[in-house]
Amino acid sequence: MDKNFQDEEFARVVKFTPPLYKQRYQFVKDLVEKYKPKKVADLGCADCRLLRMLKFCSCIEVLAGLDICASVMKEKMHTLSPLPLDYLQPSERSLTVTLYHGSVAHKDPCMLGFDLVTCIELIEHLEESELKKFPEVVFGFMAPSIVVISTPNSEFNPLLPGVMLLRHPDHKFEWNQAQFQGWALEAATCYDYSVEFTGVGHPPAGMENIGFCTQIGVFMRKYPQNDESAQSEKPTEAVYKTVFKAVYPSLKDEKYLQNAVVNEVIFTAEIIRHRLLPKQEEEEEEEDLERKSKFQPTVDTFSDCLGKVVVDKTREPFVSGSEVYIPLATIFSFPKVNRLCGTFEKLCQLIAGKVTLSGDGSAVVFSTEHENEEN
Amino acid sequence: KTIGLQISTGLQDLSLRDRGGRRRDYHDLGVNTRQAMVHVQESKTGLSGRMIKLSTNHFRLTSRPQWALFQYHVGYSPEMESRRLRSALLFQHEEQIGKTHAFDGSILFLPKNLGNKVTELFSRTRSGEDVKITVTLTNELPPTSPTCLQFYNIIFRRLLKMLNLQQIGRNYYNPGDPVNIPNHRLVVWPGFSSSILQYEESIMLCADVSHKVLRGETVLDFMHSLHSQIGEERFRDACAKELVGLIVLTRYNNRTYRIDAVSWDNSPMGTFRKSDGSEISFMEYYKKQYNIDITDPKQPVLISQRKSRGIVQGTVVLMPELCSLTGLTDKMRSDFNTMKDLAIHTRLPPEQRQREVGRLLNYIQKDDNVQKELGNWGLSFDYKSVAFMGRVVQGEKIFQSGSMFDYNPQFADWTKETRGAPLIRAMPMDNWLLIYTRRSYDVANTLLQSLFKVTPSMGIRMNKPNMIEVDERTEAYLRVLQQRVNPDINIVVCILSSSRKDRYDSIKKYLCTDCPVPSQCVLARTLSKPQTIMTVATKIALQMNCKMGGELWSVEIPLKQVMIVGIDCYHDIVSGRQSVAGFVSSLNQTMTRWFSRCVVQSRGQELVDGIKACLQTALRNWFKWNKSLPSRIFVYRDGVGDGQLNTLVNYEVPQFLDCLKTIGTDYSPRLTVIVVKKRVGARFFAEAGGGLKNPPPGTVVDTVVTRPEWYDFFIVSHTVKHGCVTPTHYNVIYDASQLKPDHLQRLTYKLCHMYYNWSGVIRVPAPCQYAHKLAFLVGQSIHREPNLLLSDRLYYL
Repeated sequence: MDKNFQDEEFARVVKFTPPLYKQRYQFVKDLVEKYKPKKVADLGCADCRLLRMLKFCSCIEVLAGLDICASVMKEKMHTLSPLPLDYLQPSERSLTVTLYHGSVAHKDPCMLGFDLVTCIELIEHLEESELKKFPEVVFGFMAPSIVVISTPNSEFNPLLPGVMLLRHPDHKFEWNQAQFQGWALEAATCYDYSVEFTGVGHPPAGMENIGFCTQIGVFMRKYPQNDESAQSEKPTEAVYKTVFKAVYPSLKDEKYLQNAVVNEVIFTAEIIRHRLLPKQEEEEEEEDLERKSKFQPTVDTFSDCLGKVVVDKTREPFVSGSEVYIPLATIFSFPKVNRLCGTFEKLCQLIAGKVTLSGDGSAVVFSTEHENEEN
Repeated sequence: KTIGLQISTGLQDLSLRDRGGRRRDYHDLGVNTRQAMVHVQESKTGLSGRMIKLSTNHFRLTSRPQWALFQYHVGYSPEMESRRLRSALLFQHEEQIGKTHAFDGSILFLPKNLGNKVTELFSRTRSGEDVKITVTLTNELPPTSPTCLQFYNIIFRRLLKMLNLQQIGRNYYNPGDPVNIPNHRLVVWPGFSSSILQYEESIMLCADVSHKVLRGETVLDFMHSLHSQIGEERFRDACAKELVGLIVLTRYNNRTYRIDAVSWDNSPMGTFRKSDGSEISFMEYYKKQYNIDITDPKQPVLISQRKSRGIVQGTVVLMPELCSLTGLTDKMRSDFNTMKDLAIHTRLPPEQRQREVGRLLNYIQKDDNVQKELGNWGLSFDYKSVAFMGRVVQGEKIFQSGSMFDYNPQFADWTKETRGAPLIRAMPMDNWLLIYTRRSYDVANTLLQSLFKVTPSMGIRMNKPNMIEVDERTEAYLRVLQQRVNPDINIVVCILSSSRKDRYDSIKKYLCTDCPVPSQCVLARTLSKPQTIMTVATKIALQMNCKMGGELWSVEIPLKQVMIVGIDCYHDIVSGRQSVAGFVSSLNQTMTRWFSRCVVQSRGQELVDGIKACLQTALRNWFKWNKSLPSRIFVYRDGVGDGQLNTLVNYEVPQFLDCLKTIGTDYSPRLTVIVVKKRVGARFFAEAGGGLKNPPPGTVVDTVVTRPEWYDFFIVSHTVKHGCVTPTHYNVIYDASQLKPDHLQRLTYKLCHMYYNWSGVIRVPAPCQYAHKLAFLVGQSIHREPNLLLSDRLYYL
């Protein structure tokens, strides 16, 4: 059973707009936008809905999910896979999404080094024994810079129609504000974190004292990260099982960068070659004249941000015999190529062996023959 | 649980269909036409020809003994509305129901029997409400039931997903192993198409290699390069022309959309109303929802219509910058170099193609998760492809005015054999025009001289033409046509210096409608190579002869009193969704003359109404030529989409029969309707010397991989230079001819020899190809029905 569905249920009566679960996710998203964590883990990720939202946050490079139930994760895990477009146009940032099957009561080194760990509507599902180990695992072992914990506020329950005791049959407990804050403060003190309390789902006017429908604690680690000393005492045995791993194509990966650069270089060179070669009866003069006289580049409707080909006189492409020479310097001046490579040296290095170059390696060479074979 | 949700989305479709709703069924399941044809009840296989050992891309599905799928109805008391809740409540009893299940909210499928006809379960909602769930066994589905087949397909698609293949459209592709073609900005993903169906003797998986052509650029990039190529003036038109009808992928979800329009009045700055009623701009929305910054706020937007059963359900607005094109534009398709570069990667020779398919089967066999999933349902595959015997029917003799030729059956081409032989009926070119521009003066003369050299041996009498030089403008061409063309002119030849479509269209439009005279357009470029000029001139001479009503060759057709009809459709997706049906029917016994008409479908009109009218005039013309009416009519119907067979059987065929009744009270010809399909997943390979080759032309397959409920067969009639030959599928949906399967197969194969624009065997019967040509010309260039004065000639070749 998952938590989103339970909210949908009662939101029908006490209307939260947007629905409460969305507000909780938005809360996490805002936090990510504010602190720009690179590595984020969601404990109790269930059907990965939060992870699916977070994968669009461009600051995140490592995204992990952990759940005690493998099948609920597997249900929608394929939606965390890269999209076709992620392959076609690899992004600048690198991103790895991993799903683990395991318990928050166990320590696994794969959870080390995270910047943000979220536990959205998780703790109320824990058995007493698990809850007892939870602070040591999350604050003591994982020790991320920020921890977010949300849980139902039992004081709000009387306002929710149909809720007798607990909001969900799998809930082991639901705390009031004092209980949650007491528990949170104790954990924070013990592991050297500070904590601030907030929530989502405002109480009706006049009943502010009962607090938010969902109470949230945001924990900040007070000490700076100290990898070596901390790591040395931590166990290295892996107990979680990886159920899913997706490495997104990224230009940080030399393979994808090279591919992107080679593609761009060849395409760019192809455009230049086309402009260079005499038009072979393709378009007649009459038509060109027509166009020249009438064509007034109006950029109103459609901003022209195509990299205008500015060809430096000193490095002009030329035709020699049956070959076209397009200097790399010209190609490098194209905005897209330029942006991808950064430096001219990088360009040369990336296309080496992948694109036919002139003897001195300064120009891309194309054959002019290719064009009209058996047309 | 995994399987539960994933499959049930697919099954939702299934149950909808079961309730009588019309769903797209690509495999035309449940259309059982063979049962109405008594003469093929026992056997639908032919006997003639030599046997040949074939293998195919089909794999047998093996399941455990007594495999059955149990279908249950699940009821709730009190009623539960939410599908998720229904599902959650039911699976509180997983130990009883089992881990392997598929549930769509009301229908539950299990691989096991629960034991009782009715099982009652009690669950509790989180609010403490007690719910009684009644699970009633409604059906025990044998492995061959259509529902089960649908079910296999759903499971198989899931397996492909588990192998990390990406679904695009109907097929699955491997993004990890792309082929880049940077000079055209194309990326090709290798992948597979798959379908599981009940074939003649067993249920089989048909797996084929598929390639998805993708573009390494966004729609916005594409618009920019188009803009720089053609300039501002024609830009918007060109955008619509190039983009409408294409499928795009987006940066933020895994859906595909078809572009229906480009909206220039809207932009990313435009707003829309969200489901909660708030107004938001596209830019804000994408930023908020997906953290995507749109860099060009002035770009136009793309419109995609969501359709269900042909009815527009709503529109989706897409940002060009966030979309990427798939497939090829018409422009790319007509670019020889692009297609050549693509073909290197997509046209796999038989051996390699079968190896790739084998790789997929291998993945399936090796993957533990996949095997587990299959095991849960009690399914497995035979990992070796099916092998069987096919037949190669004998080649035809080609008759040409008094002489007879044999051709090498391996090449299926008689260009060499018949070179220099007189034609059956050569039309004189006494009075003709040759129109050219100043620049093409030389090639015009070259063409003329070459024609003078090649025509005498064909028996074509040719005078010097009226040579007319025109300016390089469309109006100049048209003015000359208006001034100089009259009904006495045999043919007009125009030499064009570019493949500009509008000019070609104007010429064709004028000469096909306003002033009906056969015409031949030739690109100057094709005449510019001295080494090929004689071949080109020969082809042009033959083509012109056909356009004027000439006859080139024939094959022996033993059936008498027969009229053959070919029908094909052209769907114009750009301008107003106009559809055109080409209708071509034979006029004489030797099938060398054809009557051609077409139907331009206007809005809200059924194509078949027009086809009926064509059939009536076709019979009248047949009567004029033969002084009697045909006793047998064979209709070869091409242009039928997947899933449309039912409509054809239940609607179109009865219309044909009705139409025949109106001809005369005592007239009852024997009608046969054959659906011709070129796009099929089946591939056949001939085993030769330990390797695999394409089967030779004339290979007929009517066992093992055909469908038991149909009277169908495959013929490989043509050859290909590269890659794998695709067999053509013929499905006889109505047959009163009483002809033996052997004879119908032979007749079909013979007709594949009769297409005059190619001195060889083609993929489909000639009338289908003629109908295609006609529909294409009308749909692309003329847009209305050509003048009927031309209808007894192949003026559209």
